[in-house]
Order: sequence, then C-alpha cells, then structure tokens
Amino acid sequence: MSKEQRLHPAAILFNLMKGLKEMVFLIILGFFTFRDSGLLYYILAIVAIIVLGLVSSFLSWYRYTYRIENEELCIEYGVFIRKKRFISKNRIQSIDLTQGVLHRIFKLTKVQIETAGSGDGAEASLQAVKFAEGERLQNELKNGITVVIEQNDDEPEHPTSTISFKRLFLAGSTSGSLGIILAILGGGLSEIEQFIPEQFFETTVQWIIGLSIFFIAGLAFLVLIIVWLVGIAGTMIKYGNFTITKHHEELFITRGLLEKKQITIPLKRIQAIGIEESILRQPLGYVTVFAEVAGGTSGKGEDAATVLFPIMKQEEVASFLAEFLPDYAIKEEEWTGLPKRALKYYLLRSSIFFLLASIAVFYFFPKFSLLPVLLLLVFIYLGHLRYKDAGYQVKGEQLLLRYRLFSKKTMIMYHNRIQSFEKKQHIVHRKQKLGNMHVSIIGKMGGAHFYLKEFDVESIDHLSDWYSYRDI
Amino acid sequence: MRQPPKNTIAADAIKAWRITALIYELIFWIAIIVFAIVTYYFELPYWYVLIAAIIGIITTYLSVFVLPKVRFKRWRYEIFEQEIYIQHGILIMSRTLVPMIRVQHVDTKQGPILKKYQLASVTISTAATTHEIPALLEEDASELRDRISALARVDEDDV
Repeated sequence: MSKEQRLHPAAILFNLMKGLKEMVFLIILGFFTFRDSGLLYYILAIVAIIVLGLVSSFLSWYRYTYRIENEELCIEYGVFIRKKRFISKNRIQSIDLTQGVLHRIFKLTKVQIETAGSGDGAEASLQAVKFAEGERLQNELKNGITVVIEQNDDEPEHPTSTISFKRLFLAGSTSGSLGIILAILGGGLSEIEQFIPEQFFETTVQWIIGLSIFFIAGLAFLVLIIVWLVGIAGTMIKYGNFTITKHHEELFITRGLLEKKQITIPLKRIQAIGIEESILRQPLGYVTVFAEVAGGTSGKGEDAATVLFPIMKQEEVASFLAEFLPDYAIKEEEWTGLPKRALKYYLLRSSIFFLLASIAVFYFFPKFSLLPVLLLLVFIYLGHLRYKDAGYQVKGEQLLLRYRLFSKKTMIMYHNRIQSFEKKQHIVHRKQKLGNMHVSIIGKMGGAHFYLKEFDVESIDHLSDWYSYRDI
Repeated sequence: MRQPPKNTIAADAIKAWRITALIYELIFWIAIIVFAIVTYYFELPYWYVLIAAIIGIITTYLSVFVLPKVRFKRWRYEIFEQEIYIQHGILIMSRTLVPMIRVQHVDTKQGPILKKYQLASVTISTAATTHEIPALLEEDASELRDRISALARVDEDDV
C-alpha cells in the first residue's frame, strides 16, 4: 500500500511537447499564410496556444495520480471527467521501462504496464517518473506475477548474455528487407546493360546516355549504400547494449543506445519460442531468437514478437535455450516433412504471379522480358525452399513447426499453449490425400497463427490425435 | 479428425441462408437494373449490362438454390467433454478442434432471419480464435452454450 503519487513534473513538459509536435505542421502552415498580413496576431495566437497547452498539461499532470493499494495499481486521471483505472497485480503481464533521450537527461523513465487485453497500446502508461521510482514500481507490482527473491546472497548467479559489437554490426548489415533489395539490385545492376534497348547505342547521343545511365546507376547504388548504413545505425541504436538476464521466473532484457528499454517477460507468459533464419543471415549461419508473449501492445513487423536475442550462431541456439529457457531446449531429431506430391503446389503458389507477369511482359514489352524471367526463377527456387523447409516434430508435450515465407522460422510450442487446431482440405487435396493445417496460439493482436500447407493427411491426423484431449 | 463430427445443424438453416442470399442478390439486381436504366438513357453499350445480368443469374442460382443445401450437408459439429469438433466449408473443407479448457467465452446470437425460424448461432471464443456454429434450434443453442460454458469452467494454468 502506498499513498497517492504524481508523475515527475517533467511530464508536463513531455505532454506539452507531444501536443506541439502534433501541431507543428499547422504552425508552419500558419506562419506562411500570415507572414505578411498578420504576423503580430500570428505570434499572439502561438503564444496563446502554448499557454493553453501549458495550462492543460499542468492540469492533466496535477489530476493524474497513481497508487498501489490492495494488490492493485490504481490510476486516477482526467481533468473534467474523472477516470479511475484499477489493474490487479496478478493480471499484469509485463512492466516495461523505457527511457527516451529526454528521459535520460532528467534521469527519468516511462513505465508501461501491460495486461493480456487485446486493445492496442499499453494498459497503463506512466509518462515520466524517477528511474528509481520506476524500478520500485516494477518490483512491487511484479510480485503479483512471480515471487522474486532479490539480493539473496546464496542464490546462484543469474545467467546473462550480452551482444558483442561485432555481432551487432553484423545484425545491422544483414537486417531486414533493405538487405534483400540490395541483393536483388546488386545482382540486377550488372545485368542492367542487357535491358537497355539497342537503339540507344545507335543514336548519336550514345555517349551521353551511356554516361547518364551509369550516373543514375551510380546514384542508385549510393542511395542504397546510405540506406544500408542507416539500417546498420538503426539496428545499433535499437539493439545496442542488448543484455538478457534470467532471474528466477522471468527474463529481463535491456536494450537501446539512445532510447533505453527494459523489458520483463515472465516465463509463464511465453507462448512459443521462435528461431528465425532470414535469407541474408542463413548463409552466414546466424539466427534470431524470439518469443511469442501474450500481451496487449500492438507491434508491427519486427516488434510483433519479442526478440530474445537479435543475432547468434545457429550452433549457439541449443545452449542459449538450455540456459535461459530449459523448457524449450531442443534436440534436433527427424523432421516430418512434406510428401513429394506437395512440391507442385509450392512451386505453383510461389511462381504464379511472376509467371503471369512474365507472360504479360513478354507479350507487351518483349525487350524487357529477361527481368520477370529472372524473378520467376528466383521465386521458383524460393518455392522449392519453402517445400524443403516445411515440417514438424512432436516430442512429448512439445510441438516444433518449421516453415518459410522468406525467412525460415522454427517455432517451439507446448501442447497446452495451442488454442485450436484446424485441418483444411479442398477437393483436389482430398483426392491426393493432402491437407493444410492451421495452429493458433495466443500472441499480440489476436493471436499468432501458423499455417502449414500440403502435408500428408496421415501426418495431420496423427498430429490431431496428439492434440486431441480425448482418448482415441 | 478422421471421422466427421456427428451432429448436423438445424434443417431450417437452409431456409434462413436462402433468405439471406436472396436479400443480397436483390441488392445486386437493383444495382443491375439501375445500371441498365443508366445505359438506356445515356446510350452506352449494352455489353456490360448483359455481362452483369449473366453474373447475376449465375450467382443467384448458386447462392440461393445450390449452396445452402451443400453447406448444410457439410456443416457438422460435435461436443465432447474435453473438446469441440467442428466441420464446415464447401470447396475447402475444414475441421477444427477446440479444447474445452481453452474456451474463454461462449455467446449465442440471433438476427431477424434466424429469429423467424427460431434459430440461433453459437460463437465460441478462445484467446486467439473464434468459432461459430450457425443456425441451431433456439433451445439447442442455449443448451449448447450452457453446456460448453460448464465444461470450460476448468481452472488450469491461466494466461
């Protein structure tokens, strides 16, 4: 139990700045419209807006209080309409501390409290409190989740793992889609000459056009290099100082160079562990380890799942899991893959778009037909990879799924985490004794769903027997 | 998942689906008629109206006369003590298993068309998915809802 508390006064400033940031476009627009005629009024209006903003920020800060009472976090807020929010301790999924650049100047932190609710945004978010206060809150509230005995001397050392600079750099340079674009264009650039119709070279301006095309190509290359560097910098800023520590029943992650983030994941809340091998990292033998955690905040792209370690060698995964998540430790065994007759579905699905595109391009722009044909070949190969990588494994209560969209993903999940199991067959499937399956678990934003296509019907029935709670 | 589930839904579902389909088709036909009138006044080519009308005839035939029957035949469900087993889908047949202990809540609902035939549908939600059994007899639906919610009331590890 604690008495009512307010946020740090710097929250007023943060609020004001947030408001101004949203209006910055309007303010600039206003400046250009009233520059000549009513500059004085314009300045007055701006001052009025700032004063109003300051007053309302102050009021909302003044009226925002929180306290911990009866195992609950109670937040009261609202200037005119008073709202009270009670969050019970044992419904709290995670408490994240985030320090933006401004927060760090004042030694403050933002506290985000999440429950399993599916709405977007954190359930409660304290804009700015003293860092020590943030940690106090975190400690006090997470007692509801697990009993953590801190500062206990006879306790064995917490396993910790930190990312090295070399790895971080590697993670940055192989990050995401930029790399894929780079690879495609890098390959395409040397071929570009072939796509230039011959007439170009026969004209008198051949030299100039030749020059300008190389100039454009060079410029594009430069832009790509810059984008790539930005990608590296982005990863560095996001995952710099990445450290994962295991305390009794939870994982504790800190990361970020500019914006520092502390994430607590109770082991009990983990629904599945994933290992991702992206196209660029796979040849180098590097993977990303992530977790599907039940939680409220909506994440996009990379943030959809919680990254447990941004980059590590394939061989290190087993020991990493054994150390941090012994329940999810894996022993490589035989994967149940796809039957031969499934291959044609995979090839067709991945190439149908480029097949049609190739035909269209071939018909309308025969001179450029090489490009779609190349893409077609790439996607046929991708289809083959998808076919080859799909598989599953059952070990006791554990289910391992493996599939590829672009990156190859291996998911490890437990029987009691799977929310539903679906088998799907269309007419042709039924004739060929094939079927698709769809496994759902809880995740951010309405769950995580895994679709594995064209398995042997026998394998799917076998899996469904494993999943079924009845004795069959 | 080798055997289909045992129970079929209420036979009146076919009538309810027919009426629903009829309403949608009616809207489509009104649009076609408006299109035809516009074509007539502005003397546009009649080709498009003809194509739209043919599509209208085909979809009306399929969605009002053919599909409800097939759909009814395919729709099956079975409630076990431990799980719910559902089968549906015309072209793509799907069979789903939902364990009782994963069920978060069960709803029954009834629109005006279902009400006319004393039918109701049951929606089963887990933390990640929702599943619907459409068009059961009212009593069956509420009985099913109560039964599932009683069976689902098992405390296990919570999320």
